[in-house]
Amino acid sequence: MKNIVNFLIEVGKLKKMPRRGWVLRGIKNPETIAAHSFRMSIMAWLLGKKRRLNVNKVIKISLIHDICEVYAGDTTPYHQLHPRNKKERRKLTQKWPRFSKKEKEKFFSEKYKKEHTALKKLIFKLAPTTKKEIESLWLDYERGLTPEGRFVRQVDRVENLLQALEYYKKEKRFAIEPWWIQIEELVDNSTLLEFIKALEKKFC
Amino acid sequence: MAQEKKFYLTKGGLEKLKKELQDLNSLKISKTKGEVPKIWHSEDLNPEYLSFQEDLSFLESRIMELKYILRNTQLIKPPPKEKQNIVQLGAKVLVEIDGQKDEFEIVGTLEANPTVGKISNESPVGRILLGHKVGDAVLVSSPVKTIYKIKKIKYQTS
Repeated sequence: MKNIVNFLIEVGKLKKMPRRGWVLRGIKNPETIAAHSFRMSIMAWLLGKKRRLNVNKVIKISLIHDICEVYAGDTTPYHQLHPRNKKERRKLTQKWPRFSKKEKEKFFSEKYKKEHTALKKLIFKLAPTTKKEIESLWLDYERGLTPEGRFVRQVDRVENLLQALEYYKKEKRFAIEPWWIQIEELVDNSTLLEFIKALEKKFC
Repeated sequence: MAQEKKFYLTKGGLEKLKKELQDLNSLKISKTKGEVPKIWHSEDLNPEYLSFQEDLSFLESRIMELKYILRNTQLIKPPPKEKQNIVQLGAKVLVEIDGQKDEFEIVGTLEANPTVGKISNESPVGRILLGHKVGDAVLVSSPVKTIYKIKKIKYQTS
């Protein structure tokens, strides 16, 4: 029990960690990593059910997909561009960042290594079965090994789009275009594409 | 897996999956050949047995998934030379979007990983690029209209 208590205390830190993308865009009191995972789990559950996916697995993947960020931190694609100050950061986020294939591969591999190490550290003292389950679910998400893993990877982006639309509607402090552009490249699941159409109707 | 579908895979992607299946089968054999922890441990279920079972079920579900994919695979082959100026599955496409350059590889949904530039042929952008040539400017319409100018198309030659 002691190890579960300690694990939950560590994971609980996500309730206070703001999502980096919103900080870069100057959003006041932005959502936390835990808040993102919470709504994403519900989204994955409701939409995953429509796809007849293993909902139990889909919810678990959504809940744990970002827990490594307790130690690894939240990284955005803009991170690679090394903005030096607030003004530069705001300017960069006006566009969806573009990179060569080599740069993308390098960024992905560095991020993967950093997050995998962080995850292992976080779950180190849990019971072997739980540890293996969490690591397998995380690997499924990262590598898109099963239909559930691939689905949740896309739900992650769609939840982010929904949050962006909500902030944009309220404050219009940043450019919304990059979200619409990237989502057309990232999502291929027909249920999620249908959901995106519904978001378009609601917000545009 | 609601319905049978075709999985488009590159040669590299197919080899990777075959290798994974081979490795998992060997792992399964080595796990079940070794000593199976006894089910009963005093009056409770032996935690080692539960862990062993969990492991096996993870293994088996992935093995089943891989077999299903391999049964329904369609290999992505480079088109004949005269058609290599057209974007098809397996093409590496250099595009210009709003003054910025980007590189995509158009793959099937299983290999899609936009973070490393592999975009699915079923995504709106993947779908719309298919069939276009170098010099074409392709319009992707979401609430934002974006033009993808095709600069270069390459195919992996085996």
